[in-house]
Amino acid sequence: MLDLIGHLANGFLGCFAPLNMLALVVGIVVGLLVGVLPGLTLVMGVILVLPFTYKMDVTASIVMLTAMYVSGTYGGAFTSILFRIPGEPIHVPLLWDGYAMARAGQPAKALGWTLVAAFVGGVISWVIMVLLTQPVARFALSFSTPEYFAIVLFGLASVIALGRGGLANAFISLAIGLLVASVGTDAIFGSYRFTFGLPLLADGIEFLVVMVGAYGVGEVLSRIERGYAGKQIGEVATTKTELPTLAEIGAIKGMLIRSSLLGNIIGIVPGAGATIASFVSYGIESQIGKRRREMGSGTVEGIVAPQSAATASVGGALIPLLALGVPGSGATAVILGAFMLHGIQPGPQILITSAPMVYTIYASLLLGIVLMCILGYFAIRPLVKVLDFPEAVVSAFVMVLCFVGALAIRSNVTDLWLMIGFGLVGYLFERLRFPIAPLVLGVILGPIAEESFMNAMISFGNDWTIFFTRPISGTIMACTLVALALPVLASLRRPRNR
Amino acid sequence: MTEQSRLAACLPYAACLALSGVLWALTGQITYDERPGQLGPAFWPRVAIAVMALAAVAEIARRLFAPRADEGISGIGDALEASGDDGEADEPRSAALLLGAVLLTVAYGFVVTTFGFILSTFLFLVAFMYLGRYRNHLVVWASAAIGTLVFAFVFLKIVYISLPRGTAPFDGVTQAVLDLFGRI
Repeated sequence: MLDLIGHLANGFLGCFAPLNMLALVVGIVVGLLVGVLPGLTLVMGVILVLPFTYKMDVTASIVMLTAMYVSGTYGGAFTSILFRIPGEPIHVPLLWDGYAMARAGQPAKALGWTLVAAFVGGVISWVIMVLLTQPVARFALSFSTPEYFAIVLFGLASVIALGRGGLANAFISLAIGLLVASVGTDAIFGSYRFTFGLPLLADGIEFLVVMVGAYGVGEVLSRIERGYAGKQIGEVATTKTELPTLAEIGAIKGMLIRSSLLGNIIGIVPGAGATIASFVSYGIESQIGKRRREMGSGTVEGIVAPQSAATASVGGALIPLLALGVPGSGATAVILGAFMLHGIQPGPQILITSAPMVYTIYASLLLGIVLMCILGYFAIRPLVKVLDFPEAVVSAFVMVLCFVGALAIRSNVTDLWLMIGFGLVGYLFERLRFPIAPLVLGVILGPIAEESFMNAMISFGNDWTIFFTRPISGTIMACTLVALALPVLASLRRPRNR
Repeated sequence: MTEQSRLAACLPYAACLALSGVLWALTGQITYDERPGQLGPAFWPRVAIAVMALAAVAEIARRLFAPRADEGISGIGDALEASGDDGEADEPRSAALLLGAVLLTVAYGFVVTTFGFILSTFLFLVAFMYLGRYRNHLVVWASAAIGTLVFAFVFLKIVYISLPRGTAPFDGVTQAVLDLFGRI
């Protein structure tokens, strides 16, 4: 424990280095702006900032991206409450109670509750992340290839089970992702697969190209097709934030802690990010909360539950990323990409080989949560002013950032063409209701899954039962089956609910 | 759901099935030094192809034969977010705008190596803003010019990313801008 405190103290010192501090402030501000703007999703924002970090120091770049990630879960709350415009899907539940409270003449109070929820959720998940990452990483050091394959498979199954769109669509999306990942030189046998004689394809398709295209270009194409039909923004009644009293917070402390813990746990599960955390937390509060019958009419619980869970999911999602090298969400997949661009592979060894960097990231996350709340308190008016930006202008710049993102990866125009191609795929996926997350995570986790599977097969004489007979991998495989059964069970329950 | 619309809804899955067939055939062309007892480099892609084909077949069958073909098994996230749907799906869509955006994007890919990053980006920004039905000319031209210069300064002078300079005579524009930065 003393070791941990010592490392953290050094982490805080590292965080105050001018470049890291600048990265933190920029990350928080940009994350809040991305959260506010309806045309920009959190994942898209993190992807678009990535090219700026290519030549940055690795710590500063991860600090910036994690800061964006955490503040992106909060920025959209302002516009949801004040204008009924959710900047992110995360904040849709805030439309029900947050906007209702604002309409009832208490917008400042509603904003105050989101600030408290984001702060408490963020801090609780930060504490859990700091305490849990090292034991998880230490435990993972004992893993062999079957355990790694089981974990990655569980991640892919969760993305399918928890994602949007039909189950068949999710499987197809995942399969396409795995196939894209298999393009290039096979790591085990050294054979070329699906390269069509193109030298660049022999090196494989960079997953960042897929992410930038599918999330960035695909989203812009979808929005321009709708003619940027957005909601008219009304006059801002107030942008003041009225913090609740300690007695008021004390009255809901149980619910606040429950939602934060729930958000953190959901964040740990691969594929279930802040949006799922926000919706599940709201749903649970409407099922078991003390004031469940009043939910939707402007209750405090309806604001606090989704916001605290959304922000708490960030710390949760960083645990598997740092301890296992498995990204739990789209944003953590980009952060994994940033690590890899700087030649660092997150995983069980990272706390041994790059401890100062990891503890600086920890420290910056806590400072980021505090800074995010300070900005949220004082700077709502200028932040919501960005809604006045014409969407056509924003989209044009987003597209250029996508182009730069693709061109910068390997300085090759072929990557630009691939990115445009994946942009069209992203658009088609959105149009046909195929989820994009399985595609992207398939591209990222595909090589890890294949390598661990093939190595396990070579080591254990092609005995596939090894995944089920070893205690840890067997348990994880059972969880995978449960995860895949969940949507089926949910669909069986649906007609009865009606 | 009419017979015709059911068939139309099957089209994407039929395309996936056809793609599976093509890709499966391509895996047969993957060469390696075969050794007994090894699964080989084609094994993993074939698993993915099989998953895609099975999912496509299942979806086609469900859409053709299930009594309520519009309601399949969906992810938990879908069920959760269904209540938050803000009617976005019902918004009218413009094929012309979409086609324009795709053409502009593809055109950028074609001209960026010839015109260079700076000139193509400036032209793209202006064209995309007009395409998005934004008609404040001063904002369009000024933001495109300033935005391009900022992008060029950040990526060519600070971050040092290798971006296309263009070919003659268009590389003169890139050089002029770089000279301008050199004097700053």
